Amino acid sequence: MNEAVVYRNNVKVFGSGKQPMLFAHGFGCDQNMWRFVTPAFADDYKVVLFDYVGSGKSDLSSYDAERYSTLGGYASDVLDVCHALDLHDVIFVGHSVSSMVGVLAANREPGLFERLILIGPSPRYINEAPDYVGGFERSDIEGLLETMDKNYIGWANFLAPAIMKNPEHPELASELVASFCSTDPVIARRFAEATFFADNRSDLAGVQVPSLIMQCSEDMIAPNAVGEYVSRALPGSTLRLLRATGHCPHMSHPEETIAVMREYLRTPVESGQSAARVR
Amino acid sequence: MAKVPRESAELIDARERVADDRPVLDPLLDTAPCGFVSFDDDGRVRVANRTLLDMLGYSLGEVLDRHVESMLAVGSRIFYQTHFFPLLRLHGRADEIFLLLRGKSGEDVAVLANAVRRERGGEWITDAVLLRLVERRKFEDALLDARHVAELAVAAAEEANRAKSDFLAMMSHELRTPLNAIGGYVQLLEMGVHGPVTPAQAEALGRVTRSQQHLLRLINDILNLARIEAGRVDYDLQTLSLHDIVMATMPMIEPQIAAKGLRYDVDVPLELKAAADREKLEQILLNLLSNATKFTHEGGALRIEGAVAPDRDDFVELKVSDTGVGIPSNRLELVFEPFMQVESSHAARVEGTGLGLSISRDLARGMGGDLTAESTLGVGSTFTIRLRRG
Repeated sequence: MNEAVVYRNNVKVFGSGKQPMLFAHGFGCDQNMWRFVTPAFADDYKVVLFDYVGSGKSDLSSYDAERYSTLGGYASDVLDVCHALDLHDVIFVGHSVSSMVGVLAANREPGLFERLILIGPSPRYINEAPDYVGGFERSDIEGLLETMDKNYIGWANFLAPAIMKNPEHPELASELVASFCSTDPVIARRFAEATFFADNRSDLAGVQVPSLIMQCSEDMIAPNAVGEYVSRALPGSTLRLLRATGHCPHMSHPEETIAVMREYLRTPVESGQSAARVR
Repeated sequence: MAKVPRESAELIDARERVADDRPVLDPLLDTAPCGFVSFDDDGRVRVANRTLLDMLGYSLGEVLDRHVESMLAVGSRIFYQTHFFPLLRLHGRADEIFLLLRGKSGEDVAVLANAVRRERGGEWITDAVLLRLVERRKFEDALLDARHVAELAVAAAEEANRAKSDFLAMMSHELRTPLNAIGGYVQLLEMGVHGPVTPAQAEALGRVTRSQQHLLRLINDILNLARIEAGRVDYDLQTLSLHDIVMATMPMIEPQIAAKGLRYDVDVPLELKAAADREKLEQILLNLLSNATKFTHEGGALRIEGAVAPDRDDFVELKVSDTGVGIPSNRLELVFEPFMQVESSHAARVEGTGLGLSISRDLARGMGGDLTAESTLGVGSTFTIRLRRG
């Protein structure tokens, strides 16, 4: 086991099974986001959690601006964790941007992965006229970056502690800082840019690992049209439409999320490889 | 007395009605100066108060059962999904979150949101209070802009300083070459290489030489300062005996001390060691001794004293004290500024570039130490070289 990577990515392992399930968190979050679903898999699998460098309790001193300027750097984190723990036949579970990170990792080392579970995947968030609908215009993403600036270095972190001046309650100022999963505004902004300006459409066709696409109802970040695009472009994928709404079913509707994942994991890999769509 | 319980009952009733999460809100909440909205984990709006509806131009019917995201600008919708909802789900609350709301006619309204997620009637409901930001957002933008401008200004100032240092370093080199030529040719003339020299010519040549040497010293000082500022000075830190350094430096300054009839004594323990660059420490010490000699009247005294720093035993101090004219307290820090000489009614202006102390302090700091001064006007000055203990 490579202790350096375990420390760098704040890797946590639990569960009594042999086959590893590697859970990769999305932008804005850390491994904590998985806590409502992972207990359900602990009896049958080896649950592996980690934080990308720059998120959660990862080692910020390992942050490399160039490496993490594209999703490829995040895919390297995934592969580093797999190698550090000597994982094989990995079931990769990625939320949101981590779906594409998983695709990139699986394309680099297909032999490591048994299957991919992609929750709310989108290979391209920005609309590309005339025929690709990602759901966003560039100006929308700039709006997100502005909102982030305000919350990371604006009122919340930069101005509030100075203005609130509550020396007898220092936890008031630090509470917010601790709550966001990345407290460094520059890192968070670069992660947002790497996520929302990425275009991974051309990476889908080469995926050799079978996959499940979990598509939420009324997901404004990854709309239905995007889920359908991914299922058409991704060989060996199964599309499941969830009743859960929003973008974080593993947090808002953990029971349904667990049930759909279990059902998929029960299907043998071979049948999962057919691009059959299950409703 | 009878009225009190009745009022309480009304308040309890009002609270219960809110707590029941009925679509009809207590009128009190409708008059609150901030927006209020409740929604479930799917984001579906259960209630909204009048203030929020007026802020956005909606009727209650237009927002009930709609997704709360529909009230947000697109960038804030992403922020809701990636930050706000996870905060609520993982921590049960979110405080002071900046969000841009989107009104019915497309206008943006900046708010600060506080929200709590709790179980009510068997399901999880989030109650959010939205405080409208009008003036504060302007201040916040101005502060963020000011921070950005300040960062740019600092970068520009650093760049300008670097350019100045580069320029000074280059110009000093360019100036030294012709000055050396002047010195060399004057020397040849004085030696009579180009024919006999009359006494009047010899005196004139002597003045040329003195002026040339003065100019050369000035330029050397500028070059030293520019080198330090441009970060081109390398320090060769070694463990040095401060006693040895003082003993090696004194012979260089003794003729001037003797010429002014000054007394001096040295009290530096033999075992006192510092981590320092020998050449640079000698340069600092010589500069301090030269200043002390210059500014002390005939018959005065100098003292060189070494000891472990009183506040930290990993530092040592070497003090050079004089009984000279002293420095007014309000000018004490200025002596370390480049090109500064303290004007004093007690002494005639003393020749020099005014760079010595500035360079000495930079050198001391470059070795991880410092150079500081204390003085009493008319009584004397003490300059303290602080260095890491060797």
